[in-house]
Amino acid sequence: MSKKVFIDYERCIGCKACEVACEREHGESMIKVFQFPDLTNVSFNCRHCENAPCVNVCPVNALSHDTDGAVVIDPLRCIGCSMCVLACPFGVPKINELNKVMVKCDLCADRRAEGKLPACVTSCPTEALKFGEVDDISLVKEETVVSGLVGR
Amino acid sequence: MRKKHLITCPYCSVGCRMYVETEDGYPVGIEYVDDIPGIPNPGGKLCPKGNVAFQYATSEDRLTKPLKKVAPGKFQEISWQEAMDEIASRMNEIKGKYGPEALAFLGSEKCSVEDNYLIQKLARAMGSNNVEFAGRLCQSSNVVARTKILGSAPQTNPSSDILKADVVVLWGYNPAATNPVLFGQYVEKAILDNGAQFIAVDAIKTQSAKYADVFLQPYPGTDLAIISAMINYVIKNDLYDKDFVDKHVNGFDELAKSVEAYSLKWAEKISGVSADLIEEAARTFAKGERVAVLANEGLNQHVNGTAAMMALTDLVLITGNIGKEGVMSGAIPGAFNGMGASLMGVNCAQLPGAIPVANGEGRRQIERAWGFEIPDKPGLHYVAMFGAAYEGSVKAFYIMGQNPARALPDSAFVEKALEKAEFIVAQDIFPTETTKYADIILPAAAWHERAGTAISSNRRIQWSFKAADAAGEAKPDWEILAGVAKALGLGKHFYYSSIDDVLSEVNKVVPALKGATPQRLRGELKGCMFPCSDEKSETPRLFLKGFPTPDGKANLISPKYAPPGEVPDDEYPFWLSNFRLVGQFHTGTMSFKSKSLADRWTEGFAYINEQDARKLGVNDGDSVKVETRRSALTVKVEVIPYIKRGVISMPWHWGFNFLTKDAVDDLSKIPGYKTAACKISKVRG
Repeated sequence: MSKKVFIDYERCIGCKACEVACEREHGESMIKVFQFPDLTNVSFNCRHCENAPCVNVCPVNALSHDTDGAVVIDPLRCIGCSMCVLACPFGVPKINELNKVMVKCDLCADRRAEGKLPACVTSCPTEALKFGEVDDISLVKEETVVSGLVGR
Repeated sequence: MRKKHLITCPYCSVGCRMYVETEDGYPVGIEYVDDIPGIPNPGGKLCPKGNVAFQYATSEDRLTKPLKKVAPGKFQEISWQEAMDEIASRMNEIKGKYGPEALAFLGSEKCSVEDNYLIQKLARAMGSNNVEFAGRLCQSSNVVARTKILGSAPQTNPSSDILKADVVVLWGYNPAATNPVLFGQYVEKAILDNGAQFIAVDAIKTQSAKYADVFLQPYPGTDLAIISAMINYVIKNDLYDKDFVDKHVNGFDELAKSVEAYSLKWAEKISGVSADLIEEAARTFAKGERVAVLANEGLNQHVNGTAAMMALTDLVLITGNIGKEGVMSGAIPGAFNGMGASLMGVNCAQLPGAIPVANGEGRRQIERAWGFEIPDKPGLHYVAMFGAAYEGSVKAFYIMGQNPARALPDSAFVEKALEKAEFIVAQDIFPTETTKYADIILPAAAWHERAGTAISSNRRIQWSFKAADAAGEAKPDWEILAGVAKALGLGKHFYYSSIDDVLSEVNKVVPALKGATPQRLRGELKGCMFPCSDEKSETPRLFLKGFPTPDGKANLISPKYAPPGEVPDDEYPFWLSNFRLVGQFHTGTMSFKSKSLADRWTEGFAYINEQDARKLGVNDGDSVKVETRRSALTVKVEVIPYIKRGVISMPWHWGFNFLTKDAVDDLSKIPGYKTAACKISKVRG
């Protein structure tokens, strides 16, 4: 299974530390915080789909899953055709104006290569952002809910 | 070559640590500190400001050379030598002509312990106690209140004790915006993971207050009424800690009598918070075994701020929530070294170590260490300095890292006062609204371009290393001050070959920092919590064995209700208040220059309640005119349901202090920034 960034939106205070950390690492932010009138905040980044439409439609095989399961792009292969933009159900891929290639979250491939977590996750002051396999994240959530039900 | 250097964050007072990464002396990135246990930000967590804490310093707007004013608004580059000569001759001339009281100095919560120690020493060596910093504007009421009652003002417990509290109170404090790492690592975990009950008091339901079990939403500055009624309720219903009161507290009977008239219904009428809610808050507070009470400017930045903070301290005491593990209360300075500037005696009435200037024995001890006499009368407080300049009794300012032209209340008056001064030196990293009035501008090194220590709100003193080269000819503040002192002919009192020499002198002069030596702090990277009487010790918790008062007991002070400064009336029916944004800092001198922040938190606006908006015929995004007795401005509104009806509130970073009033609290001289009466009208077109 692959690892992804998950948000526990109950913990999120909308401070945008993740956005700023991402911008510092990548020059522009690949994660965005959405704020709602009821004071709920949700940060959103590439979901790194298991069966990724962007990978499937890319005509030049510029997109692939790496060993952690992150969907990453080879900018030297990318032709800037925007097929991935059309295919993505979330509107995640963007075309970089300068380089004319697609850019999106790569879960901080450079940081992971050094054994570090994505910058947004390490930075998050409230630990609302977590990096892990979906089943592990779900299990923790399940345990928390159930232990709450039985009064710990 | 890529290198990394450990620094303390140059923004808020949590004291987060980070590595600044450099290439050939130029800052290029930040790395999170996950290898030093015990730092204020576990795992290296950083808020948006901390994440780009070097960015502002790389701005093209930096001051890089000493400048001399040649005509209004026109400056010319000069050499450091010329600048020093000019400063020395003008300041000595003014001192000779008008006396030392004509000189005023401003230190800075954004400069190091050493810089602040030197600027107040310089002021006093020149014969003036006119030396202040922005602590007067944000925490002085807190400091005065707690010192009067407890004998000491700083935070009582390590932040990690918040995790052990069973009740957390945030009173006029939104750390989710102002101290996000403290909020996320301690407050939120106490509430969400450890099941603490949470009481929040704020005119706005904030990102902090949204988690509250009990949320009180009073009119600004009416908190004193609520606290007085809570004290009354707690005593009447026998919910106070009798054992603690008997052993550790004086003045309980007087307190009980003084609050008799303050009923829940009375408080409801003044504050606009229902009696039932106040009762629930009082019960929740009193039933806590370990209550962490974090109160900040929403409570204390009023002309009744000291009274409100005294009442809250009374409540903490009678419920026994002090002097033990798992509780917390105390001052929360705004900037990363507010605590340090305060402890260094950048205060018109206090010398280093919080010794009152009028305290003969304490003063003489410092005089012996320094080798010169210190004036025995308190100088002018921050706001009064500018009144005196306008009147003509203060003739010269030496301003280090302060922006009074934007930060002081009734700022248009402050600008007139600055215009009247005969001579102004401004030492800063950027041109500001204040530097334009300067005769000489000196370029200072940014925080990560020099070494030095800073003290967090949690009493933690930490060494911050030099990471990058200074911009242009900029120099560290302490070095500039030592140079100025030498030029003024005071060289023998300011003989320092390195910043270590300055801290070593502080170790000797300030007993609370005796063990916080340069050698220790460069090795013990998590720093230490003062008081530290030797190089091995520190003090995580205060008051475990009583209070630093003559009889070891705390002295309750009975509250007497007084309204906040300017309250609404028929002509000016709205409360004007202010708040802070998570991605901006104070008057923006640093954060506006940080692209990642400036791009996200772009401009001022005003929050207004949706019902008030409907009445005024105003929609979200419309512009309104906000008018006070001083002045008026036009601003876009955000219409929201979660601000108190009758209150309009703006983030203060973009400067609207020309609207606020210069009234100050009698006891602490803190200005009443958080309340002004205003009227609002829709701007057509």
